[in-house]
Amino acid sequence: MIGPVREPAWSLPRTAIGLWGTEGLISSAVLGFGVGAFLLFVPSDVDGPVPVLRWLLPILLVLYAVVAIGVRPWFKHRVYRWEITADAAYTRTGWLSQTWTLVPISRIQTVDVTRGVLQQLFGLSTVAVLTASSQGTVRIWHLENDIAQRVATDLAHRAEQVRDQAT
Amino acid sequence: MSEPRRTSPLVVLLHTITFRQARQFVPAIIPVVAAIGLRGGTTTIALLVVAVTLVSLGTALLSWWRFGYTDGPTSVVVSRGLLSRSVRTVPNDRIRGVEVEAPPLHRAFGLVRVRVDAAAGVADKDEELVVDGVTRAEGDRLRAAVLTHRAEALPEAAAEPAEEQFARFDNRWLLYAPLVGSYLAVPLAAVGALFRLLQELPENVRPDVEGVEDVASWRVAAVVLVGALVLLLAGSIIGAAVVNWGFRLVRRGGSLIATRGLLTRRHTELEIDRIRGCTVAEGAGMRLVGAARVSALVTGLGDAARRGQLLPMGPRAEAWALNRRLVADPGPLAPHPPAARRRRVTRATLAGLVVTAAGIATSALAGLWEVLAVGIALTLLGVPLGLARYAALGHATGATTFTVRSGWAVREQAVLQRRAVVGWQVQQTFFQRRAGLATVLACVGAGRGGYAAVDMAADEVPAFTLAASEPWAATLSRA
Repeated sequence: MIGPVREPAWSLPRTAIGLWGTEGLISSAVLGFGVGAFLLFVPSDVDGPVPVLRWLLPILLVLYAVVAIGVRPWFKHRVYRWEITADAAYTRTGWLSQTWTLVPISRIQTVDVTRGVLQQLFGLSTVAVLTASSQGTVRIWHLENDIAQRVATDLAHRAEQVRDQAT
Repeated sequence: MSEPRRTSPLVVLLHTITFRQARQFVPAIIPVVAAIGLRGGTTTIALLVVAVTLVSLGTALLSWWRFGYTDGPTSVVVSRGLLSRSVRTVPNDRIRGVEVEAPPLHRAFGLVRVRVDAAAGVADKDEELVVDGVTRAEGDRLRAAVLTHRAEALPEAAAEPAEEQFARFDNRWLLYAPLVGSYLAVPLAAVGALFRLLQELPENVRPDVEGVEDVASWRVAAVVLVGALVLLLAGSIIGAAVVNWGFRLVRRGGSLIATRGLLTRRHTELEIDRIRGCTVAEGAGMRLVGAARVSALVTGLGDAARRGQLLPMGPRAEAWALNRRLVADPGPLAPHPPAARRRRVTRATLAGLVVTAAGIATSALAGLWEVLAVGIALTLLGVPLGLARYAALGHATGATTFTVRSGWAVREQAVLQRRAVVGWQVQQTFFQRRAGLATVLACVGAGRGGYAAVDMAADEVPAFTLAASEPWAATLSRA
């Protein structure tokens, strides 16, 4: 995979695959309830697209579940990468569409560490690096808790020392 | 710290007339009135008017009495509140700008309203400090005092600086107004409101339109149409004139000062040191007559779309001359690769192609050819649209600045200083990856927050980011 810019050096812990898989499982279950309700409550003898949908929807659901649980987590683990260099925080995120984000340490305004409900189950945290621009936010997803905390402290400390006007 | 200053007592009268404070009691009064009813006729109404005015006078008096402000050497303090007291302190180095405005009624009393713009990017109106109702002289003193206190904090405190004119609005440029979307929207909204009002009217009051004979109706329609068009044109020009009359942009020391407005004179001050770049925007209609609009990108400016305006509308040459005075010209735009043209055209025709496919299905199954015709027309129209969108794309880097341009309905070119960039975001969708393209977003702590070079050649990205920002962008290049 050759992108327009360099690949960040470090990959995420493998527990992130479990987390993405769980996310896929939950979204598949929600969609499954929807499809189940459709099969149960919409009468099958109605004209129009209903007979087609009765077999099309379950097939789509199975396809989605296979991709979301079996393929996407591994794919994402290959795409999601991060790196803290001497003067910048750098990430790659996405899946089919990819986004590289680079923020120099001299322009960092705040550093947040957040832990979602699912993340807590897997012992992972997200580090968000915010700048003066609403669009210039670097999010390093799914780092192990202690690493995330160390990264955040280190970034905040270095930002303090090199900060120029920060805008 | 010295004794807090008060606003002019005249403001009590002003606020009594406009029910400035009493307005908030309206929701409480309505049920009371509804309960009592208006049985007494004129006497009750007269009494009610007197009572409301008295309440208004009382609240205006109270809030004037409880309001005080101090412009100290390090901060501005405003204290207010009828029952609960609130004291807000804004350090001078956090003040982004000061605006002195004089609405018509204020002018009648010789008063002005001073707005001190404090925190960064505030959406909340409460965040700014407003000193409402001081004399013109005191308003100017306050503005100068706040800004010079802040200047003293900086090393280079300029002596009483001379004024230098940057731009002056020629009133003939108001004729561009009908081609600027936002000004056209004003009379349209008014017409919409009128129609709603007409529908609210009871049946017997409404003019009887159904009775008009068919023979006369096309004439009536033509007259109404022409009339509406004239009204629309006039409305947009008047709207633009009210806002922009006598627009003037001058430089005084380290600030740019914009003055404008027919009824409410606005006075906006921008610090040149905080300007990170400019945008020149041309709507599709404006491009036909060679008109453009210039805005400054200022860090930490609330309500940036209005306050950052440097030239509300004017000839393109004038706009670019102004732009070059503020930020260095990065040179001519480099076009984007042919793959970008293919991608623009594909995206523009996609909707048309979908409709065409649906049209083929409907004409085969149900014999409906209308959908097919619409689909083909949309597809054909998409081609010139895509080409025009491609023609708008471009980017360039200069010695200290860089520029990106995109957009068709509103074509916007942003010229930014290298130091403006606080981050880069490179985006590549699945299709962009196959076409060897990427969209590069320069994150900026001003204006919209990000300005994108859409669909540039993927292998040019590292060189562009390095040339357009400071050395840290080398992280993106391969070792």
